[in-house]
Amino acid sequence: MFSFSNRSLTDILFWVTRKKWLITSFGLCFLFFYLPSPEGLSSSGHRTLIIVIVALILIISETIPLPAVAILILIMQVVLGLDTADGVASSFMSDAVFFIMGSLMMAVAIVYQGLDKRLAIAIVNITGNKTSRIVIGFVAVSAFLSSFIGEHTVSAMMLPVALAIIRNSGRQVNQSSNLSTLLLFSIAYGCAMGSIGTPSGGGRNAIMIGYLSEFGLANISYVDWMKHTYPILIIEIPLAALILWFTFTPKQKNLDSAIRKIKVEVANEGKLTDNQWISIFIFLFIFFCWVFLSPLLGLGIIALFGIFLYLSFGLIDWKEISGSTNWGVILLFGAAISLGIQMKETGAALWVAETAISSLEYIFKDLFIVRWFISVFFTGLLTNLLSNAATVAVLGPIVLDMGGNPIIMGIATSVASSFSYLTIVASPTCMIIHSTGIISSKDYLKAGWKLFLISNIILILVSYFYWPLLA
Amino acid sequence: MKILIAVSSKEYSKSTLNMGMQVAKAFNASTTIVDVGEKINDFSLKDVSLVRERMESWDIDRPGIDVLKWAFNYLSENKFIELNSIEAGFSKNTLVETSRGRLEVFLKGTFCDNVSLILRNGDIISELRDEVEVGDYDVTIIGGSKKGGMAHDLVQYINSSILVVNQFDLNKGYRVLLAVDDSIGTWKAVQYGARVAQSLGNGVDIITVSKTNSFRKGYKNASKKSSKFLRRLKIDHKCHFKNGEPAETILQFANDNHIIIMGNSTKSPILKFFSGSKPLSVMERSICPILIVK
Repeated sequence: MFSFSNRSLTDILFWVTRKKWLITSFGLCFLFFYLPSPEGLSSSGHRTLIIVIVALILIISETIPLPAVAILILIMQVVLGLDTADGVASSFMSDAVFFIMGSLMMAVAIVYQGLDKRLAIAIVNITGNKTSRIVIGFVAVSAFLSSFIGEHTVSAMMLPVALAIIRNSGRQVNQSSNLSTLLLFSIAYGCAMGSIGTPSGGGRNAIMIGYLSEFGLANISYVDWMKHTYPILIIEIPLAALILWFTFTPKQKNLDSAIRKIKVEVANEGKLTDNQWISIFIFLFIFFCWVFLSPLLGLGIIALFGIFLYLSFGLIDWKEISGSTNWGVILLFGAAISLGIQMKETGAALWVAETAISSLEYIFKDLFIVRWFISVFFTGLLTNLLSNAATVAVLGPIVLDMGGNPIIMGIATSVASSFSYLTIVASPTCMIIHSTGIISSKDYLKAGWKLFLISNIILILVSYFYWPLLA
Repeated sequence: MKILIAVSSKEYSKSTLNMGMQVAKAFNASTTIVDVGEKINDFSLKDVSLVRERMESWDIDRPGIDVLKWAFNYLSENKFIELNSIEAGFSKNTLVETSRGRLEVFLKGTFCDNVSLILRNGDIISELRDEVEVGDYDVTIIGGSKKGGMAHDLVQYINSSILVVNQFDLNKGYRVLLAVDDSIGTWKAVQYGARVAQSLGNGVDIITVSKTNSFRKGYKNASKKSSKFLRRLKIDHKCHFKNGEPAETILQFANDNHIIIMGNSTKSPILKFFSGSKPLSVMERSICPILIVK
């Protein structure tokens, strides 16, 4: 008779406990599939929402690898009869996905050039030795740079600089102190705030621009986006620095010797190499292409052109790019965008939007507050549980179906998705600083809630008073 | 014999390493010290790798290297590794990536052939389980944790004997508390207990607990056989017969001055998963080190 050995039973139990959310999501999938569609929701919309629920559970629980979630989304779209295989394949690849792919590869190419030491010397030359000025410098430089080249690139370059300062100040690099926490959060929060600045600041901006254009709602250029978002960024920088300073006030008010050592360390590197110069020029060229040519060529194609140049000039080899690029994230965002389009086409997004509005109107009594609650506050909360780009990919079509000015709603959602201050998983930069072993999950809440609150207020004020003037 | 010692930091793992190396020495066992760093989520995995590469260019160690350095220094100070390894010092350049994300330093031990230091990242139970599968370890040694379900997962899923080092004080004269009954796992526990007792040199208490007022023949025989075995090895010991709820009675007797050693439950994994087991119940509430022998 067939029976399991104790060893096999243990293996099965282990798998079941580790994959409980996968099992739960499939269970819910079957349950919802056999429930009648709610009133006002089409059958295909009902099936689309089933996929959304399964995907959200799997992304938040991290029970299976991200590429597996992406593949499952694509499979379910075909198996549940929402689209043909060819239809799903064509909605999977878009300029937004090209952009995410290109920007992740560019991050690898830029970081690979070792420009972080140059960046370090530039920062300390501007800020001097005072800790408070260094903190403002870190927040500002992280925000400014990440608005153009993305938070991944900037945090990868800035983190070693911060750790070097901590080490040179006589502290153990992996030991938690107010100084180390302060410097690392200056990078993480600076990068998060900066990522809203331009479309190239984060994949989610490109996703939102893609949705607005795909759904025929608006075409936003690189400069248009900057006009909307850069004022928020500029207001947030000093406020973030102040909040961080008063939350993690360090004992060391001056970092004389640490800065001196950094200067010596970088001086030993000599002048900028030819490759570093070429790398900078390529990025500037790509930036100008984004500003002037993105309406014509698309953000993604330009980003891929940047990769073409980096590879052609031999600044990095393909093996390095391929090995260090997170293909799983690209797959997931491709699948999430495809699902977002499906939500729009099947009416699922509209149904969720209308249901949310009618339910929340009972509480808030005002449509403006309801829209604000979902596009700003709810996006901000979800981004801290999920990931910012995935949040925009899923919430984007819903928010754009809620009425109001689609540009304001879309950009507000994208901006709110950068309020990833509260948890480790909120954004790669939060995870990067946590991976140093210095920052605990409690630290994120200490300063994070203040910044989250202030950022929400700034966004509401700017979107209410300033953005309508740009229309 | 192969022993795996899981450490996390010099602040929290000193007693684990102390006791782990004592046990390893008692068994002349090949020893591996592993530090399992926190899991990096899929969204950030590549970014974190990229950052760590850049950190190397600034000569900044990735997290976990400091733990391995500390473990290396401990091994050096206590002469657990050979002189040439000590003289060479710890160099992160000697870390070999043996599989994806698993870094290892090989050293030559004094009481055994191999001592190695390993760095891994991820969910602690999954990583230890994987390490035990790959390295075929006999005993896994880990510090006590307040994390709910940790004891359960260790006993349920790690395929080796488990020693949980709760509040171990090197200067305290711990006696071994051997919990024996007529179950299959008892005899192996007695053998392990004898080796540990020889190393500690403070004697053994053999405890047999019955839920009723009388003791089954099997219980009495198990105690007698254990006593005979220890006598032959010239280990000072005393036999105790107690009535009461087994886990509670063992814990009361052990207090904080024993190292509890008991066999694993022979229940099916499914039953253990839903209803627990005697060893698990003892492990969850123990305030002293406890070894569950599988």
